[in-house]
Amino acid sequence: MLNRRLAILTSGVALAALSALGPAQAQEKTEIRVIVAHYSDQTMGIFGGMEADFEAAHPDVDIKLEDVSWDNLQQRLTTDIAGGTVPDIAIIGTRWLLDYAANDIAEPIDDYMTPEFKAKFIEAFLEPSVIDGVTYGLPVAASARAMYYNKDLLEKAGISAPPATWDELVAAATAVKDKGEGAYGFGMQGKEIETDIYWYYALWAHGGELVQDGKSGIASEAGVKAATLYKSLIDQGLTQPSPTGSNRQDMESLFKQGRAAMILSGPWLRGQIKTEAPDLNYGLAPIPKGTVQATYGVTDTIMIFKDSEHKEEAWKFLEEAAFSDKNRIAFSEKEGFLPVMKAEAAAPVFADDPQLKAFTEMLPYAKFAPLIPNWEAASDTASAALQQIYQGQAEPEAALTDAAAKIDELIQQ
Amino acid sequence: MLDRTRTLTALLLILPSLALSLWIIGYPIYDVVYTSLHEVNRFGKVRDFAGLANFAKLFADPIFFASLWRTVLWTVTVVGGAILLSIPIAVMLNEDFYGRGLARVIVMLPWAISLAMTAIVWRWSLNGQYGMINATLFQLGILDGPVEWLASFDTAFPIEIAIGILVSIPFTATVLLGGLSSIPADVYEAATIDGATGWQRFRWMTLPLMKPFLQIAIVLNVINVFNSFPIIWVLTQGEPANSTDILVTYLYKLAFRYGRLDTAAAMSLIMFAILLVFTAAYIVLARRSEEKGA
Repeated sequence: MLNRRLAILTSGVALAALSALGPAQAQEKTEIRVIVAHYSDQTMGIFGGMEADFEAAHPDVDIKLEDVSWDNLQQRLTTDIAGGTVPDIAIIGTRWLLDYAANDIAEPIDDYMTPEFKAKFIEAFLEPSVIDGVTYGLPVAASARAMYYNKDLLEKAGISAPPATWDELVAAATAVKDKGEGAYGFGMQGKEIETDIYWYYALWAHGGELVQDGKSGIASEAGVKAATLYKSLIDQGLTQPSPTGSNRQDMESLFKQGRAAMILSGPWLRGQIKTEAPDLNYGLAPIPKGTVQATYGVTDTIMIFKDSEHKEEAWKFLEEAAFSDKNRIAFSEKEGFLPVMKAEAAAPVFADDPQLKAFTEMLPYAKFAPLIPNWEAASDTASAALQQIYQGQAEPEAALTDAAAKIDELIQQ
Repeated sequence: MLDRTRTLTALLLILPSLALSLWIIGYPIYDVVYTSLHEVNRFGKVRDFAGLANFAKLFADPIFFASLWRTVLWTVTVVGGAILLSIPIAVMLNEDFYGRGLARVIVMLPWAISLAMTAIVWRWSLNGQYGMINATLFQLGILDGPVEWLASFDTAFPIEIAIGILVSIPFTATVLLGGLSSIPADVYEAATIDGATGWQRFRWMTLPLMKPFLQIAIVLNVINVFNSFPIIWVLTQGEPANSTDILVTYLYKLAFRYGRLDTAAAMSLIMFAILLVFTAAYIVLARRSEEKGA
């Protein structure tokens, strides 16, 4: 009892001491609050390096970093915005930016950016953050998708080179099914987030577009072809059975266990294989071609809030610390992302990595999620149509036409 | 005269707490009603007055009606199943036998585990490729290939209902057990002496005496299960193709994924109304049958 009282008393004293010290120190300093999205357990360490760099050069600024998981990020920021307690800087998914720009939440950064600074970026990655000619943020992380293939399984099936086209992929998957001792030819995703993206690869490869002239393009000829192709892969047993039960992790697990010969995924899978399945003999190749070459590119944006009271300092933090060559290389290398700045791309860690080349070579063909209103709802609508097709509950053309009509309504809202 | 002042004092004394609870209950309802009648964006910014447009949007949405129908199916089967299974469990646990305390603890234990955790464990077990259930069935020779239990409505929804029943049993059994232990033992002794069989005692004594407890168990379970989110969300997120969505999972998607707070507010009002009507109707029915009985 006495101990407990003592503990309460001492902690009270400590608290009083802290609160007496705290404001006195902070008063002279400008505080910049940065919301950092949690990419991995290393993220905060890397941003801590940026903070140290910047505070050393600007002793009058105090950078406050806050770690928020991706699952909570959107809701957290939404609450902050609704409550009028926005931070100065935040990392967001680029596809959210449209809402942020439309509601006057994001600060346009064109006036802050010098031409020299702008020239340091790889042009294609700046574009997704531009809305109606106004730049609302900088690309903080970029990834593109590629095909992972299991060299042993393909060799066993008598295939010497990874398939470059969808026709070759069907042939290779058939060979794996016949000779692969129970392994699946092609891993198919049919559940949860990115179910639609897994199919957009084929849509784009057949020359389709997600949005054409302000209307959904998923029911185009290319879309029907892509859906028919995927359905036939499922029906012929070239994928794992019932793909509507497999989300992205399930499908990636199959590949890591050596039970799927080919899957489409992003750079993060390399890191996972390195730690979870170091003996897996795999290679990386571009996503198969139909009539054209394409991949899915994703960027995340780091943006400054319009309501921030220290926009100048916030921008300086981005320009001098967050996007210094050293910190960018550290970030992209440790997190497994693609370089967004020219200096990164030239750095030996990226230039000399043969696996990474599969991703960087795909960059010129990268398609980004279109900046349309209600993207999340449109994406779910497309996924639901695909799930019906994969389960055989609807014909590709009928299901996609239906979904496209719904998406058209969502875009116009 | 004295009575009147006393009543007044009493009223004055409870006024603060009454005002507080009115505020706590009333303000959220007011806010939801307000939101549902306006156009509200993702960031909670209220724009124009929308009238009943948000409700109209819902009534034009086939997924809403499909989810509504499935919510009814989900609630009726889960509550029905939980009650039917809990009655024999409660009767058994009420008998005096060696190790009864332990048996009671075992039945109650699942209650201590969060629903989300239970659902995650089930999701792992049900995984088609490396789940325990498939592995067991495979070794027993019942399956000859992987079955993806959660890949289609036909298997996923019944499984979700079964899990829903399983996790509702501890609470339901506790309520019923409480009821059973309040029935005095001597009426049973008297009935036994009069030659009543075990079934007769159960049908004509236990069940009627249990009625108020059954009613409470039904009403509380319906409210709980109707709004139950974790099992379906963790197992299927309402997929494939919205075929396992119930109102509350669809509500979550509307509000937090699609950012349509206004339509979501309208939907939660409808859900609130459904539960209110059910509870009111149930109480009225229960009263009426009680009066008849008496």
